[in-house]
Amino acid sequence: MTLTQVLDIVRTDIAQSLVLFSPELALVVTILLILFVRLFQREGTYLARHLALLGTVISLGLAAYLFNRTSLSAETPEIFGGMLVVDGFTHFFRMLLAAFGVFMVWLCAITAVPSARDASDFFPLLLGATLGMMLMTSSIHLLMIFMAVEMASLPSYGLAGFLKEDRRAGEASLKYVVFGAGASGIMLYGMSLLAGRFGTAHLPTLARELAGAVQSTGGFVLDPIVVAGVLLILVGIGFKIAAVPFHFWCPDVFQGASAEVAGFLSVASKAAALALLARFSLTLAYPLFAADSTAITGALGLTLGLLAAVTATYGNLAAYAQTNLKRLLAFSTIAHAGYMMMPIAAAIGAQSESLYRPAVDAVLFYLAVYLFMNLGAFGVVALIRNAIGSEDLRDYVGLIHRNAPLTVAMAVFMLSLTGIPPLAGFVAKFRIFAVLYDTGFLWLLVIGLINTVFSLFYYVKVLRVMIVDQPEVERPGWQLAPLAMAFNAVLVLANLAPLAPGVWPALQAVTQSAVSWLHLPY
Amino acid sequence: MTEAIPLQAVLIVSAAMFVCGALCMATKRNAVGILMGVELVLNASNLNFVAFAQYTPFGLDGQMFALFGIVMPAAEAAIALAIILNFYNNHLTVDVDRANELKL
Repeated sequence: MTLTQVLDIVRTDIAQSLVLFSPELALVVTILLILFVRLFQREGTYLARHLALLGTVISLGLAAYLFNRTSLSAETPEIFGGMLVVDGFTHFFRMLLAAFGVFMVWLCAITAVPSARDASDFFPLLLGATLGMMLMTSSIHLLMIFMAVEMASLPSYGLAGFLKEDRRAGEASLKYVVFGAGASGIMLYGMSLLAGRFGTAHLPTLARELAGAVQSTGGFVLDPIVVAGVLLILVGIGFKIAAVPFHFWCPDVFQGASAEVAGFLSVASKAAALALLARFSLTLAYPLFAADSTAITGALGLTLGLLAAVTATYGNLAAYAQTNLKRLLAFSTIAHAGYMMMPIAAAIGAQSESLYRPAVDAVLFYLAVYLFMNLGAFGVVALIRNAIGSEDLRDYVGLIHRNAPLTVAMAVFMLSLTGIPPLAGFVAKFRIFAVLYDTGFLWLLVIGLINTVFSLFYYVKVLRVMIVDQPEVERPGWQLAPLAMAFNAVLVLANLAPLAPGVWPALQAVTQSAVSWLHLPY
Repeated sequence: MTEAIPLQAVLIVSAAMFVCGALCMATKRNAVGILMGVELVLNASNLNFVAFAQYTPFGLDGQMFALFGIVMPAAEAAIALAIILNFYNNHLTVDVDRANELKL
């Protein structure tokens, strides 16, 4: 490509690209604004928080506007010359992450973490990580995937160690950065093998070349370079998802980091990593269906399925023994990542394109629900920590007598995480299991059901301690601030949404239109 | 001059670098030592990228990849060193085996 050609592409492409990129741009502008404003501040104020709230709300608005405007149009979804793709899938995740950003700023406001002094350091990191996660969901170029993963990770390392004087936070961030840097290095090496082998880093082109290469060799003859490349990239993504066996950082980081940051990593980071896994593996596998190379997609689906089953089972079994609430929720997060990997594995292994979109639909739906139940649980942990100064299950005894609304909210989140009808978590889980049934992955379905029963034990254990167990000494109760009350009320109502007419079909319509416009290479 | 060295030779060197880096990450107990292992792995992939850029149609893409592969880990190293320094301030050591307070 000559320089003139490149300039031509830039000239014609850039205006439209920037419009479609505007939710991310809103975050970029907010970050710069916060950093700029702090130059003129003498004392710490909460100005940074207000700016962060404004930025995330604008970003959410722009993402929703673009989703409504373009979801049915025939605009080419690839922007910036094939670096990013803006399809329904991207739109959905941008809305999800921006909405989550709004909730995060709200949670930070009610728990007063970070303090006014640190707010202008904390929020640029938070928004920067969110920006990186948005890019993770939209990249279709290996270089862009690497940049996006790094952009999401680097601020996360900082956020994990944000409480500088805390020994445990220091340890958590050390573990996170050491393992994270290793995982990203391994991923980059995998990319160098894969991209070099096919002479392109553009994922759809690469997938087509792969299908062509498989077809020309006629069957299950694969280059060891390609296998190594794909597996090493999956190691990097698996680390971000915290899939077993790359999960070991997750409990330590969650326990050491503050509950707010743990909630952020648990929801946003996981959502982005799952989106990346879905985008990467589905794009790579799709042309193979056309080439009738189902042996390879079957093997990839089986690998992912086994990984998902082990992840879910390990997370649920290990969670039972935990006494620290954040650590317990970390294992619960690992287990939920396992559930969400199941439909992706099923879609790839199902040998049929018609089940592709319903499977992705189930993942998107689960993530939307997961945001509300998991953030709610971390929010309650943070609020209780502010009141009683402990995150240990033993100190939760008899909380029903001390703060009934918070205990009820926790009960709703915990039961929703288990998947008890009629809460939102049940519907989300049901849809995942329905996809597993349709795709014929019955063994995965059975493992999923057994896991749901396992998970009931530790979620209910928390509730038993909070509600049934009698405290030895009576301790005083406390009142929630109105803003905290509203935060919990919104999340509880969201978890009760299946009972309300109209809300549920609306969410279904959004995820359906998001997957109906999924950009796949033909 | 480039004909003298086949692509395979460069790939073998980079694979050796990758293995050294991975071993270094797995066995070193000093946090800075682990970071050096990470750098070896990253530079192995950069070597791959420039080699593919030279010998295959991957071309300019590979060189761009290598450039970003140099810049991005520099940012990562900056954060990692800051965190290691903070860990040292709290624990007076950079031995990762001493990072063992977060447990059940």
